[in-house]
Amino acid sequence: MEIINTYLLSVVLASLLANFVISLYAIFFKPHYIKKIIALTIFSDTANTFAIFIGYRRWINQNPSKVPVLTDLNPRAVEEFAKLAVDPLPQALVLTAIVIGLAVILFLVFLGWILYSHYKTLDMREIRRLRG
Amino acid sequence: MELDTLVTNMIGPLTPILVTLAFITPLVSKLTKSEKKAPFILATIGGLYATLTTTTVLYYVILEEKPLIYKYGGWPPHFGIVYEIDLFNALLAALVAWLMLSIILYSNWYSRYLDEASWYYTLLLGLETGILGCLYTGDAFNLFVMLEVLSISTYGLVTYHRSRAEAVEAAAKYALIGAVATTMYFVAVVLLYSGFSTVNMAYLALLSSMLETPSLKYLSLIAVSLALWTFTFKSAIFPNHFWLVDANPEAPTPISAALSGLVESVGIYAVMRFLYTIFGEKSVLVEYREVILIVLLTLGAISGVVCALMMMYQRDIKRLLAYSAISHTGIIYMGLSAGFLISEDVVKIAITGTLVHIVSHCIAKVVLFMASGVFIETAGSRDLDEIGGVGKIYPLTSAAVIISILSLAGLIPFIGFYSKLLIALGYISAGFVLVPVLIIIITALSIPGYMKIISSVIFNVPRKTYEKLSRSSWIEVMLLLMAMSLLVLGVIFWYLMPIFEKTTLSLIKGVDIYVQVACEKIPGELWRWLPLK
Repeated sequence: MEIINTYLLSVVLASLLANFVISLYAIFFKPHYIKKIIALTIFSDTANTFAIFIGYRRWINQNPSKVPVLTDLNPRAVEEFAKLAVDPLPQALVLTAIVIGLAVILFLVFLGWILYSHYKTLDMREIRRLRG
Repeated sequence: MELDTLVTNMIGPLTPILVTLAFITPLVSKLTKSEKKAPFILATIGGLYATLTTTTVLYYVILEEKPLIYKYGGWPPHFGIVYEIDLFNALLAALVAWLMLSIILYSNWYSRYLDEASWYYTLLLGLETGILGCLYTGDAFNLFVMLEVLSISTYGLVTYHRSRAEAVEAAAKYALIGAVATTMYFVAVVLLYSGFSTVNMAYLALLSSMLETPSLKYLSLIAVSLALWTFTFKSAIFPNHFWLVDANPEAPTPISAALSGLVESVGIYAVMRFLYTIFGEKSVLVEYREVILIVLLTLGAISGVVCALMMMYQRDIKRLLAYSAISHTGIIYMGLSAGFLISEDVVKIAITGTLVHIVSHCIAKVVLFMASGVFIETAGSRDLDEIGGVGKIYPLTSAAVIISILSLAGLIPFIGFYSKLLIALGYISAGFVLVPVLIIIITALSIPGYMKIISSVIFNVPRKTYEKLSRSSWIEVMLLLMAMSLLVLGVIFWYLMPIFEKTTLSLIKGVDIYVQVACEKIPGELWRWLPLK
């Protein structure tokens, strides 16, 4: 069980790293605007998943972490809880980041619509009136 | 009322008031059926309140000589979000709020070129909220949130003239890379949290100087590199400078002023906060910090020289000013990376110069952009060859332009001279002659660009007869007053020097006080829940 757990977590970490690289490549080198936006959503989702992964805290105590819901309020239980439970703070951070990301993506999509109405294409190689 | 309570009561509602004003603006505009007047009045109220608050806070911090903590919701630092304001960010925030007020006043004059002005003012107030939040916050994650507030407002404002294809294109390029940059910073915060178990800046500073394990060293190196990528993007320095030169000409003129004057200074502030307070000279990053600072010095030098060269070839006045802004940010980066020098006095002189340069460059650039707006709207073109001689009918604005340009070029007795002098002096006393030479080269290279503005706009013979725009006289007076402040600040500079020196010390030597003030706010029984033992 322990080995399976470690194996699965390593797979998650490896796939997160691969996702970072692939999405950054796509954002900078894919010519189409919509593909860039899709890559951007992959990038921000990877960042969010990475935060959740950090919050699992398995490498600190080597035990599978518990669900972060506190049911017993006596001080010793709280201390035990703080040692073993999943860290809830990254989840709060991710919640904020998701909401912000949604707003940015919506803005970008509408911008793409206006961009299309001006240039009749979304290929960024052809949208080059500015010299940069 | 005690000053203490007064400041707390003013700073708490700052963000809520600005955000509320921003979001009721479209509603009030619809209800009162006033397209431009009512939104402008609401924005002015917000701007005045921000100015009043930041100035009071600055006064209080100078008086108390220690950082001010504001706890959101009463939660002590590390458990809740706090504002931690030392002299450095108090000074910058006061500067930004005053300049923002002038931009709001200018927007009223400019609003004849805006359709749906209420949305413009909504975004402008959002921008002010974002900038002030970024400057005041003492929490690395709250910095991310405020950075996003700032960014979304600027994306919206850059694309404001959405019937122009170039504006939309500039905004699309800026927003795409900007979204990547802020997500990078989010990853950096998560990495810092995984290493230090806190996102509070004071606690990060404390822990980074206490814990020294190799894994933490590499982790903070990666996190700082990611964060610095974001901040150099925000402050538009080579190789991330491309968005500013595209966005600046296409944005409405008041926004160009805000972009290259105020948004850049947020990036500079964040870099300095990360490299001097959080990962200061005694931190876990110690040997890599020098490398990072030398890299920043190189980037600053490259963008200073390259963009000063690019200025010569520009025909678009706003594009020229954008390149000038990047070149000056390059000088600021050369100054702020003085931390790798060994002697403390040297670092102090160079960082003081950097601070003065931020102040002088911000004011001069805002004046220049607003003045260029007056010329552009009169002549109906941004091309320097086509708007020749338009300055002749605006004598006061022309005087303001000349004063600002002289200050940017660094002539005695303007404040721009002292800032460059102090940066150069710091490096010379460390025996590092390359930087002063580079500063002189950058200044020399940028002079043809500035002369192009003065000669073509002011001294050229007009090609046609221009008509003076209505209601422009009080804008002219405001611009001249702002430009005169550059001269006045330069004349009384040696009296102001102690304040700037104190500000520098609060940044480079004040880490202990910064941490201590944050720790004092924790109730005794909470101590044992902290990650340190």
